[in-house]
Amino acid sequence: MTVILLLFILGLGIYTLFTKDLLHSVIALSAISLLSAMLFYILHAPDVAITEAAVGAGVSTIIFVWIIRHTDRKESDS
Amino acid sequence: MREFLLTGMQWFIIACILVCIIRILTSRTTSGKLVGLNVLSGAVLAFLVLRGVSEGRALYLDVALVYDIFGFLGFLGIARFLKDKIQGESQE
Repeated sequence: MTVILLLFILGLGIYTLFTKDLLHSVIALSAISLLSAMLFYILHAPDVAITEAAVGAGVSTIIFVWIIRHTDRKESDS
Repeated sequence: MREFLLTGMQWFIIACILVCIIRILTSRTTSGKLVGLNVLSGAVLAFLVLRGVSEGRALYLDVALVYDIFGFLGFLGIARFLKDKIQGESQE
């Protein structure tokens, strides 16, 4: 089960790196933090999973979207 | 029997998570990706509660509660961004 979750995280991470739309990157990044919280949970570390769920899925997503609102949404080629 | 059912449900939810991830990766619109993330959050929440029941400790259920609150805030942020974009396009 751990290996399958790591493969999911790897696929989402590759998509996050190579997509041009930054909002799609933020959505994939939120899914990554969700799955890594689940991974910590499976590995018997519920306190780390609580912190990851609060900071990764909630606060960092809001901060990234807030920054995209004040800058460009598309990544430039140059 | 109980352990078998709990384990089987966990693997079933893992399969559902795979489908949600495929939806997030292949959807072309942002709203499609957002709905995929929302359904993924629901599936992971069900997984956390199932695992907490099979472990039998109350601390494990707190993870599900905390994620339910803060994940919703993240979805609200993205949805608000989409709302502002749609309203800005209609005003132009």
